[in-house]
Amino acid sequence: MIYCYYISVCLILVILQTTIMPHLPLLNRCYDLLIPFIVYLGLSRPARESIPCVLFMGFIMDNLSGSPFGLYITTYLWLYVGVRGITKMLEVGKRLLIIALLVVTGVLIENFIFFATFRILGSQSQLTAEAYHQVVYQLIWAIGTGPLMLLLFRNMQRRLDVGLKGFFNHKDKRKINLQATAHGQILKNR
Amino acid sequence: MVLIVGVIVLIAVNIIVISINSRRYTTFGFERIAISFVAPFQELVTRSIDFIQGIWQHYFNLVTVSKENYELRKRLNQAMEENNKWRELELANNRLRDLLNFQKRITKRVVAAEVIGKDPSAWFKTVIIDKGKADGLTKGLPVVMPEGIAGQVIEVSNHYSKVMLIIDRNSAVDALVQRSRARGVIKGESADRCRLNYVLRKHDVRVGDTVVSSGLDDVYPKGLRIGRISDVVKRNSEIFQEVTITPFVDFEKLEEVLVVLDLQKHDLVSQQ
Repeated sequence: MIYCYYISVCLILVILQTTIMPHLPLLNRCYDLLIPFIVYLGLSRPARESIPCVLFMGFIMDNLSGSPFGLYITTYLWLYVGVRGITKMLEVGKRLLIIALLVVTGVLIENFIFFATFRILGSQSQLTAEAYHQVVYQLIWAIGTGPLMLLLFRNMQRRLDVGLKGFFNHKDKRKINLQATAHGQILKNR
Repeated sequence: MVLIVGVIVLIAVNIIVISINSRRYTTFGFERIAISFVAPFQELVTRSIDFIQGIWQHYFNLVTVSKENYELRKRLNQAMEENNKWRELELANNRLRDLLNFQKRITKRVVAAEVIGKDPSAWFKTVIIDKGKADGLTKGLPVVMPEGIAGQVIEVSNHYSKVMLIIDRNSAVDALVQRSRARGVIKGESADRCRLNYVLRKHDVRVGDTVVSSGLDDVYPKGLRIGRISDVVKRNSEIFQEVTITPFVDFEKLEEVLVVLDLQKHDLVSQQ
């Protein structure tokens, strides 16, 4: 169930940034929306849940993008590992400033890996001023919306957990009731 | 008897007074006092009634107007929506007409496709189109627009394909400057412009010159327009000049494209 939720979030974010955002004037320079989600996974979810999700997201992005295959998987994995490392060193909790910094760092890490790849592959010897502007825009967006997105993911997850817990509790209670009724019937028959 | 006479006299006097009064209007001042006393109350009551009546009527009017307003707004929205739809259809029609005309001009077989998604990253310039293997597309086919070259198919699934635009860093198109026939390779810069690399310093290249495909890369047909030269830098220390090109295709507004099919391969596929 939780994987379905992760896949849905991932697909929604990917579709949002490939179909809707490129047509909107200011949002077309926004950062990769999957970064806050990876930061969220690194901060709040266990590794057995997060790593398959991170790989899935990287795979989808690698397929949709014109990047060399594996670039997004690598970037997301490094990002995830970095966030896990930071959470071991720092107590992040609900501190918005640190969360914002984590998202900003995530954006920087992604761009750094991309630039390093361009440099290694030799696809462009120098980076234009527009590229730097692009990074600055992305960072501004990340500072502004990153923590909000993280809070949104947390809230959604909490609601999902409560809903699932309620659903399974209800199911368990019904099962127990049914068992008790059957047991009572057997005793009565005896 | 006296009573009867008295009543008759009173009636007569009464009639006389009334007939005199009816001929000539006279006032005695009491009327004014009475009016002054009663009129304010009358006014108050009348105004109150008018006020209540007004509110009542206005309320109903407002309810009616509000409903009417709601209906009109709804109709206006519908009309605007319709209008927008027609405008979109008109624009799409124009674009498709251009594509059709272009399709007639181009000698090779082409498939029209719609752009359904853009690259999630700002650093790579690819788009997803709604045609794939099922429509005869294969990897490496050129993608064009009436304005010029758009890109190249780099991945094909059954019904969708990924197209790398010429403004992508990894893209390369063998090109010629139309006027002077100077040759070079167009490389994307990931912004909405390209660079014409490997143009020798001795070649005559000027701002405003049109650049076309040379056809030597075995991907793009020869003579397709690519862009206009927007900047030329000649450095004494270098063999090549730095030539910047602004593509004719507006990649921000890419909606429909034409994929030029490789006729031989396509025929083979259809024969199989």
